[in-house]
Amino acid sequence: MKHPLSLNLNGDMAENLVEARTSLLTFIRESAGLTGTKRGCEEGECGGCAVLLDGRLVDSCLILALEAQGKTVTTVEGLGDPHHLSPVQSAFAESGASQCGFCIPGMLLATTALLDREPDPDEASIREAISGNLCRCTGYTRIVKAIQLAAKLKHDGQN
Amino acid sequence: MQDFAYHAPPTVAEAIALFAADPEGSRYLAGGTDLFLALEHGSSAVRSVIDLKAIPGLDGIAVQPDGGHRLGALLPMDDLMRDRAIRTNYRALAESAEVVGGPPIRNRATLGGNLCNASPAADTAVPLVAFMAMAVLSSASGGRAIPVVRLWEAPGRTVLRPGELMTAIELPPPLPASASTFERLTRSAMDIALLSASAVISLNDDGTCRLVTLALGAVAPTVISIPEAGEVLRDTNCDDAALARVVKAVIETVRPIDDIRASAEYRREMAGVLAKRALARAYAIAIEPAGITR
Repeated sequence: MKHPLSLNLNGDMAENLVEARTSLLTFIRESAGLTGTKRGCEEGECGGCAVLLDGRLVDSCLILALEAQGKTVTTVEGLGDPHHLSPVQSAFAESGASQCGFCIPGMLLATTALLDREPDPDEASIREAISGNLCRCTGYTRIVKAIQLAAKLKHDGQN
Repeated sequence: MQDFAYHAPPTVAEAIALFAADPEGSRYLAGGTDLFLALEHGSSAVRSVIDLKAIPGLDGIAVQPDGGHRLGALLPMDDLMRDRAIRTNYRALAESAEVVGGPPIRNRATLGGNLCNASPAADTAVPLVAFMAMAVLSSASGGRAIPVVRLWEAPGRTVLRPGELMTAIELPPPLPASASTFERLTRSAMDIALLSASAVISLNDDGTCRLVTLALGAVAPTVISIPEAGEVLRDTNCDDAALARVVKAVIETVRPIDDIRASAEYRREMAGVLAKRALARAYAIAIEPAGITR
């Protein structure tokens, strides 16, 4: 049986009929066509599918699309575009924080959620904030540096 | 995953009625971090998922007239660990919520879900037992409250009747001159607990122990309390000789298993170590002039 679903996706209304078993991840990728959100472990371990649900970082693989009924979802596509990067995106690019890039959308959203709550985090807070996002390339050093730079860029009001 | 009916009723009564329509095939949905994996990999057929998040008032923290705290069953771990009153008065509970998964999990996983999943390794269950918390349950025939320590029958099995719904956890008022601790061993930070311990100690005016509770996780089929800790340590300064007697009681009480993470022998030995650590640290914090605000 299909249910009507309507939610705010990156500022636009996204609507479709979905089966109850459809995950929010599947809705974002296959119904809305936004493939920045990655299908990784599908068990809530890797954070590749992380999005913001009403501003909170969540794994979209562990949420039914219908649980997001009427809510606001932000994916990496909602942070900025290639011509208007968000400070967090700029910081990751400038820091060379991305290698294969698969984990980066989740990392960007984890960073956005962190800096919204804690504009000036120390390194321990940064590492804690990305502890639900696995990166298999970088060893995290440049990602942590990128987050420190992102905090600075947000402070300086650059974009 | 098989498809199922999805409901998001606005009241507890409607949720219970929906469950009663198909008790075998229904599941309540709280944060979903455990249920989702069960739907994906579980063997039993789920025909109806009843999402509880549309019911107002189940996800907050309220101070009771007696100074106790009432925690909604749908309270997410992230809210629990950040709440100032909980951090001040029920420190061990906040510390246990901090180690549940990573941030995306803590933004969804709920206190009630952690308890009803009935894992003997459930992090928040251990301090709740030490604090002598009560679980508030609702069903078609009315409500009841039972001590959290009596919630479980076996790994994965609670004493809740079919369709009975946990709506809140009630913490007794914080004790004067008291402190609480949570200790946990894991292979890596993100793994579930190899074993865990939580202690609550309140002091008499002369600095001896007035009330002591000790709970242990992942050393028996359910989270357990060790009543001997209170009996042995009462009116002592939590000295080494007294602690050694508690450790002996712990080692005789626990019934750990061998599994992929650790041997039963290791768990039994470490249960004593962790119990002693939790108790000694709680006493040290409680005896400080600053008390539990450290």
